Amino acid sequence: MTFKHRNVLALLAATALVASACSSSAATASPVVTPSPVVTEAASATAAPSAPSATATPLALKIGVVTDVGRVDDKNFNQYSYEGAKAAATALGTTAEYVVPKDASDYTKDIQSFIDQKYNVIVTVGFNLGDATIKAAKANPNVWFIAVDVAPCVDATGAPDSTFKCAGDASKLLPHLIGVTFQEDQAGYLAGIVAASVSKTGNIGQLGGINNNPAVVRYLQGYQLGAASYKASTKVQTDFFSTGDLGKAYGDPVFGKTFSTQFIKQKGVDVLFQVAGGTGNGALDAACAANILAIGVDVDEYLSYPTADKCIVTSAEKHLSSAVNQTITAISKGTAAGGVSKFNAANDGIGISPFHNTAITIPADVQGKLDTALAAMKAGTLKTCPDTCGTWK
Amino acid sequence: MSGIPDALNAIPVLGIVFQLVGYLLANLDSISNTTVAIAVPITLAALCGVLCERSGVVNIGLEGIMLTAAFVGWFAAAAAAGAIGTGTPSPFFGATLPLIIGVAAAVVAGMLVSLLHAWLSISLRVDQIISGTIINIGAAGITGYMYSLISAQSLVGAGQFEKYVVPQGVVDLPIVGWLINAVLSQGPVGLLTIAIVIFLQVMLFRSRWGLRTRASGEHPRAAETVGIDVIWLRYRNVVASGALAALGGVWLSMEQTGNFNAGMTQGRGFIGLAAMIVGRWTPLGAFGAALLFASVGGFSQSLTISHPTGNLGDLINLVPGEFWEALPYIITIVVLAGFIGRSIAPAADGVPYERESAS
Repeated sequence: MTFKHRNVLALLAATALVASACSSSAATASPVVTPSPVVTEAASATAAPSAPSATATPLALKIGVVTDVGRVDDKNFNQYSYEGAKAAATALGTTAEYVVPKDASDYTKDIQSFIDQKYNVIVTVGFNLGDATIKAAKANPNVWFIAVDVAPCVDATGAPDSTFKCAGDASKLLPHLIGVTFQEDQAGYLAGIVAASVSKTGNIGQLGGINNNPAVVRYLQGYQLGAASYKASTKVQTDFFSTGDLGKAYGDPVFGKTFSTQFIKQKGVDVLFQVAGGTGNGALDAACAANILAIGVDVDEYLSYPTADKCIVTSAEKHLSSAVNQTITAISKGTAAGGVSKFNAANDGIGISPFHNTAITIPADVQGKLDTALAAMKAGTLKTCPDTCGTWK
Repeated sequence: MSGIPDALNAIPVLGIVFQLVGYLLANLDSISNTTVAIAVPITLAALCGVLCERSGVVNIGLEGIMLTAAFVGWFAAAAAAGAIGTGTPSPFFGATLPLIIGVAAAVVAGMLVSLLHAWLSISLRVDQIISGTIINIGAAGITGYMYSLISAQSLVGAGQFEKYVVPQGVVDLPIVGWLINAVLSQGPVGLLTIAIVIFLQVMLFRSRWGLRTRASGEHPRAAETVGIDVIWLRYRNVVASGALAALGGVWLSMEQTGNFNAGMTQGRGFIGLAAMIVGRWTPLGAFGAALLFASVGGFSQSLTISHPTGNLGDLINLVPGEFWEALPYIITIVVLAGFIGRSIAPAADGVPYERESAS
């Protein structure tokens, strides 16, 4: 009797494990789109003349994009990075293919599948793929890797450094790995101008995930300076969702909403900026529920998070498409170098989303101020981050 | 900032207490609102546990049931919205037909998962802890996988329920206004939770069903000899309790937010289990324990949002912020450890019942 029942239990346990394994491994090992090997002569011609180094220079670019999990038309990192790769490919007369990993454990496999098919430019999208990309770059020194939104941190051997000491010089150890990074403080600065302009009380807020992430902190620091530049008396209230719990800080919208609701109430802010991933979506919800305005981050969140579109004024944007496009073009021209490639206002790397929401009145002088600030950023004359840039005191 | 006179705040040592009281008074309004919101899913999970364990079945699969229901409800609502359109939100909490379909689907899904647990633990008499663990692992895996498949297509959720807006005149009432606002400013699931707590408390201790439930949890053999069908009763209770945990899932994906996220329960089911034990396996006690956890959570959030000034602020600064963030969990452990001697589980809790004739 018990023997039979134990079998049932074992069967169910096995099923549960298979199910959890399914959610963390690919149903298919091959890319969603079968890459086409056809490369036009023109493409080879444009790429061929430049031979910057002794390593095998690609005659023609074969571009593969490994997105993060989700979907490719997510109106977010995946979509804009892929669009950038596609635009570059079209200009170069080639094509860009993509694969959407089913789960985090597929990053390595999906990168490898492009390598196996002799792709020579591989774009990986987002911070989550950073380690897998660094490892692949170390194992395949002749393939160009573009890690979007990653500042490669490696140890002395060129392996990913989980302690973030970054003892190794990534640009020398991995000369074909380009980390595409953005100057978040400039985007935050522009958002700050808009936030201060639409605030009626002059009391605005911003919420970050954890205060140890330099990219998050740069956004917030830029926002503060931008708000003060519009109106010096603007009060910017800052807080962080967690002191160290990554799940709470970036992956828990339910918590994000309760925390933000309390923040809005206790601080009395009437505009809220958030830099906190999924938890930040909860902050956008909270802003809508509290009838105040919200500002999106990274991409145009009016489009990417329609749940809260009625209260999103604008978003502090990273121009992912433009950055990926420029980087691939640089590789094809032979002008690309390994290491961190910084995108900012000067090379159209950051910006601010259009004011889609016509129900929100934007003061007439705002566009002028934004244009002036952008011009000054391009000229390099505008300080958008304090001396402690990237570190929260 | 507070209504406490400075003279009192300045008293050495004792002044700290006055400052704390002043701080709490100043932030009572926002902390109390957060408190109820944090407590709702924990309470529903705990009620599911109470119902199961009172009849003698341990259920640690709460987390899995909630997660499954959160996913199924959200998906069914989104699919229904895609098929028949969202329609105009009704005045009743902004409910739309797709949302109601979602709630129904979530409740059915929660009951089905519970039925699996009931079958395993009551009919097959397998180890109930392992059965619950399977449900937790399986639910996380299956919902995560399904969600990754679904998110490969563009699927927009069906929105969410709206909260009841307490009339401003009531909110402004002196002394009790904030409390009424905190309790009633909820969506349908939040309000229903409060009703369910009271209903179950009465039923469990004042009805025939309650007596039978408690009997089969304490001494199933004796219960059987007086004519109670223990197996059938346990089945009913476990399956019905699935509906409660499912409502917790509905709250997560359709009331507090309008989206599903992989693993969005984030341990709330397990906190519910703790609340059940701290509340000594009674609905009211479990609700109280959930409120305790939630109010400490609201308080610790308040500390990071509005940092207290004066000596109180200095005192709080002595301890790292991580401590205040962990405070709700620390309090739960302390209370759990302190109560465990007196908090006695139903005697037959977790013991599979075997009929005499069956052996």
